[in-house]
Amino acid sequence: MENSTFSLKQLQNWMQGMLVHHEPLENGNAEVPVMVEQVVNSSKRLSAVRHMDIYRYSYIARLRACMQSQFSALAYALGSELFELFADQYLDTYPSESYTLNTLGEKFPAFLEETRPDAGQEEKETWPDFMIELAGFEYALSVIFDERANENSTVTPNNTPDELLVPAPVLHLFHYQYPICDYYLEYSQGKEPELPFPEESYCAVTRHNYKLGLFTIRGAQYYFLKSMQQGNTVENAKNDLVKTFNFSRAEVDKIWPEWKKSFIEAGFFIAKNIKGP
Amino acid sequence: MTEQRDSYSDVIRSLPNPGLGLGLRSKHFNYILEHNPEVDWFEVISENFMDSGGRPHHILRQLAERYPVVMHGVSLSIGSTDPLNKEYLTKLKLLAKEIKPLWISDHLCWTGVNSLNTHDLLPIVLNEESLKHICNRINRVQDFLHRPLVFENPSTYLTFKQSTINEWDFLRYMTEETGCGLLLDVNNVYVSAFNNDFDPVHYIHQLPHSRIVQMHIAGHQHCGTHIIDTHDRQVVQEVWKLFTLAWHLTGGVATLLEWDSNIPDFEVYHAELLKAKQHMSSIFDMELNPEKQEYSEEAVSNPVNFMINDIVVN
Ligand SMILES: [Fe+2]
Repeated sequence: MENSTFSLKQLQNWMQGMLVHHEPLENGNAEVPVMVEQVVNSSKRLSAVRHMDIYRYSYIARLRACMQSQFSALAYALGSELFELFADQYLDTYPSESYTLNTLGEKFPAFLEETRPDAGQEEKETWPDFMIELAGFEYALSVIFDERANENSTVTPNNTPDELLVPAPVLHLFHYQYPICDYYLEYSQGKEPELPFPEESYCAVTRHNYKLGLFTIRGAQYYFLKSMQQGNTVENAKNDLVKTFNFSRAEVDKIWPEWKKSFIEAGFFIAKNIKGP
Repeated sequence: MTEQRDSYSDVIRSLPNPGLGLGLRSKHFNYILEHNPEVDWFEVISENFMDSGGRPHHILRQLAERYPVVMHGVSLSIGSTDPLNKEYLTKLKLLAKEIKPLWISDHLCWTGVNSLNTHDLLPIVLNEESLKHICNRINRVQDFLHRPLVFENPSTYLTFKQSTINEWDFLRYMTEETGCGLLLDVNNVYVSAFNNDFDPVHYIHQLPHSRIVQMHIAGHQHCGTHIIDTHDRQVVQEVWKLFTLAWHLTGGVATLLEWDSNIPDFEVYHAELLKAKQHMSSIFDMELNPEKQEYSEEAVSNPVNFMINDIVVN
């Protein structure tokens, strides 16, 4: 085959195929895969194939390392061997389409769901559920860490009247079938958490002075905060709670001062600017 | 077109030499803000900040008020046969408007086709066809950004049979055709020269020295049969020698030490950069005799600091 048969486009397609799909792509209408030797020079010390292999090896190793740092708790939970296997398959299935590596793992939680080992079986194993939830949580944290938002920087006084309380600009609520937040916190504190048993859990994530705050909360608190995020006042959110959980109004009013104090301290609320813009 | 090119060319010629700079790494954020170290300028990876609405952006804003900043990109993909990425260019322009860099640089490479990104700086076929293609794209990007770009020679690990132009000539033609500037990475010259059997001294001699506005120096990993550009250690003597040569030929330009993996404490990083001072005044010794080094087996090229945010949890 003559060298001149490759256009720039063909050449780049071919080389990218070598990296991303681990195998030579076929050259246009030709039946045989393009041989590396036809495209790449050999040198004093290396054959053409070895030259190409440097790029092939670096490609997967670099992106695998990125996945590892984006999903470090998951990598710990799965063990590095299994994590690598999933990461490699993922990169193969969803190669990056973004100019930034920050979104490299965006589809990873969905990919884990699609490829769970017990897919199609009636009896579901439970550990994949945990892994999928953990992956989703880790990715969400990386998004929240760098999302555009007015930073929660002002201190909200504990005695702020209820009518003035609104959810902080960065407040994200999660509901899981496993104790994901506790597991993540233990991992990030350098402990070595064991695979947990299923247990419904709720958590809130805030950002204050560009640092994330992670809090495990109770189910009722989750619904209460959700309701406020939908635009409800404290008063209406309390009413919602009474309806949803069959609580008595007196019970809710009794617990409220405690909630209010801890929510304000955790940075879930800010005081509405009454002066307006 | 010619007028535009000449005006870009004039801008390149009039760019200042801010001195010795360091790459901004998240590991050093706190140190820099607390200590205001006497670094002449910082280079920031554009992609790490153009989408940031959190801590990285917050830090960069403060840094840009205190130090001159240069924006160094990795995703322009000037050599790709894909269309230019408008979204990317728009964000690049916005970031530049905000932090007012001395200049914006990227690499002579392509990063992917068919909308994929390999996140690597892949080698260019060096021939008439690609030269025309690339110059055309440089013109369009420069006109969009209203400023000349600066292009760096990447580390390469292979050459193409279809290449007909030497890299140093290719870079010179680019500057002549578009008015762009050059970022000479002397470590990359050393790495590419070893991997592809050319003489690094000859390469540096052949470049258009008046078009070079910046240099990179960095450490690499020698694997015996080839060298990988890892940016994870100190600069080897041979690369310092090339730096000395380039310093004399260019008359001295902005110089930056890259360190992207195994990143040391800030003081260590800064001290390694300051070694450049003694190499500016030394005499270039044509003899390149590689010192004995440890060979490592599997190294991964780390062309730039592709940063995944280190999440800070309270
Ligand atoms: Fe460089």
